[in-house]
Amino acid sequence: MNKILFFISLIFSLTTVSQNNENIFGSFESNSQLLQDDNTLNFTSPDDNFRANNYFQLNYNIGNISTGIQYESYLPSAMLGYYPQYNGENGIASYFMNIKRNKFDITLGYFYGQFGNGLIFRSWENRQLGINNAIKGIKFKYKFSESFNLTTIYGQQRNGFELNESTIKGVDSNLNLNKFLNFEKTDLTIGASYVGRYQNNSTNDLIPANVKSLGARVDLYSGRFSLNLEGIIKDSDVIANEGVILSNKLYDGTALQLDLGYSKKGLGLNTTFRRLENFNFYSDRLAEGNIYNQQTISYTPALTKQQDYLLTNIYVYSAQPRLVINALENRSGEVGSQTDFYYTFKKDSFLGKYKSKIAVNFSYWAAIESNFNQDQSYDVEFIGDGNRYYRDFNFELKNRWNNKFNTTITMLDVIIDKGVALGGPLGVQGDIKAKVGVIEGTYRYENGKSSRAVIQHLWTKDDKKNWAGLVYEYNFSTSLNVFIADGWNYGGADKIHYYNFGGSYSKDNMRLSLNYGRQRGGLICVGGVCRYVPENTGLNLNLNLVF
Amino acid sequence: MKKLFTSIAFIYSISVNSQSTLPNISLNSLDGNEINIQAISDNDKIAVVSLWATWCVPCIKELDAISEYYEEWKEEVNFDLYAISTDDSRTIKRVNAMVNGKGWEYTILLDSNNELQRALGASTIPLTLIVKNNKIVYRHSGYSAGVEFELFDKIKELK
Repeated sequence: MNKILFFISLIFSLTTVSQNNENIFGSFESNSQLLQDDNTLNFTSPDDNFRANNYFQLNYNIGNISTGIQYESYLPSAMLGYYPQYNGENGIASYFMNIKRNKFDITLGYFYGQFGNGLIFRSWENRQLGINNAIKGIKFKYKFSESFNLTTIYGQQRNGFELNESTIKGVDSNLNLNKFLNFEKTDLTIGASYVGRYQNNSTNDLIPANVKSLGARVDLYSGRFSLNLEGIIKDSDVIANEGVILSNKLYDGTALQLDLGYSKKGLGLNTTFRRLENFNFYSDRLAEGNIYNQQTISYTPALTKQQDYLLTNIYVYSAQPRLVINALENRSGEVGSQTDFYYTFKKDSFLGKYKSKIAVNFSYWAAIESNFNQDQSYDVEFIGDGNRYYRDFNFELKNRWNNKFNTTITMLDVIIDKGVALGGPLGVQGDIKAKVGVIEGTYRYENGKSSRAVIQHLWTKDDKKNWAGLVYEYNFSTSLNVFIADGWNYGGADKIHYYNFGGSYSKDNMRLSLNYGRQRGGLICVGGVCRYVPENTGLNLNLNLVF
Repeated sequence: MKKLFTSIAFIYSISVNSQSTLPNISLNSLDGNEINIQAISDNDKIAVVSLWATWCVPCIKELDAISEYYEEWKEEVNFDLYAISTDDSRTIKRVNAMVNGKGWEYTILLDSNNELQRALGASTIPLTLIVKNNKIVYRHSGYSAGVEFELFDKIKELK
């Protein structure tokens, strides 16, 4: 580690000599919390009640070469709900060097990347979710021509501050066919990919040491239409549950995704169908289904509309791609679809003189219908009529009334399986049916001052019954704001107020936010991937600096 | 000794050189063309770079707000807005439908591997930059109503 620091410092010192075509930049992010006991929530603060996640990143570029290093610390402990392996750790978490020349692009050290839709391979970082599954090794991309490129990867995946013992290798290729087919207004690309994992099976020869996935895809764009199709097959492998392999029986997996789109100015339509049967790929076979989303190779997020309001994100869906065979439940995966529709009204429509905008989304996700046999095998339909996991119909209408005032109205109608929402076996505990309505208004004064208010209500006879919510935010300028918020579960047994207040300051290269209040227990999702956060009360501070 | 050297070199170099330029990264546009982001603001062109995603509500608020005035403003000052989607593979198929459905006239680029987002140290979006001759002259993260006017005031100053 000292060597790395020394090496990098040497490069930095050189930069002070000349500054042509080179630059240094970096960032510092600190997210911390101070927890306290809260009898109303039955929350007892842990002994290490101050927790902080810090990230310090430094990059140096010269010409075609870029280098970077990232230091992370989770001291004295990682924030609540993060992967426990990070607790109390700190150190250089990743570093890389990348060289780009005309046709090749090579990265040594830790790299991120994805093939196709990411179904077969995606390594990425998301600090809010506590995900960083970078691979340490080599990534090599070569552009044979404008029409054809190839990427190869080889390395070991990061797990906390360590590396998994397995090795991951992969190849991805893309071939654009426009030239060969003399397409001018149509764009057609085909792609193929391979990802393999070698993991020692110690003495058990019944467990395969090598497991691979193969994928193929087609991407077609023609005028207003688009079509994307990707299919993956995965070798047979054992299935694990909570770190334990239950039997030596092997199961293969498949993934299929189809996207269809139509759009023209003022109107957009997109629909996605996806079927995932036993489709999970981890760099450690025992990591299967871990709740912290660690050590993943495949990327199978929930395909639903992500909501952002206090009460619209209580009942959120997370994807269910796993094959589970045990005494409590039997299931083989997920199938379903979602559709998005966007429309912009012309000026001076019946909704006012400004262009009103509407967004509608519908999604339906269910188990793939399967019959499980005595010998732990199963027969499966392509779609069938499996247990419904999630159904969501929602729409959003944005209106500007004048130069100063605009509103957004959001309505949601959700049905979610209790097992998906609250935990436990899926498809046997019944549903939660909920409706949510939200009205948001923003009024702009002069000089960057503005007010924003949101009122919302959630109706349900299930789970914790009805909720009401209120948010008020005042912006003193475009840099400084304060807010108060309350999500009140007035229908619930304890009638809990999940209150929060705070503010943020953002100027040039700095952003600082501070808030105090109660965190409702549940899933925090970013782009369809969710992290469970336990209920807690405390003070949160986030600081972000770039230089 | 090494540590001392590291710290000195580090502090010195940072004080001399900070992130005032866009990194050398090429991104694909929606129609598959590769665009080097260092080239979008050469020859005194003014470029606004906005990092957004289809699932990011404040990002969409900001881009919707700017789109109300975009044509008008462009008549006054010659500039282009590059709305760079950080959507991952999951939501990237939605980008086209959303951009068209909302009637946005921006140049859309795709940073689906978050290479640019990481290089800019943008842990949260929206992040909005004004760039001229590849120099970052304005940077703002987050959205509050009216920030679009502040943005346009800065653009006018650069004219």
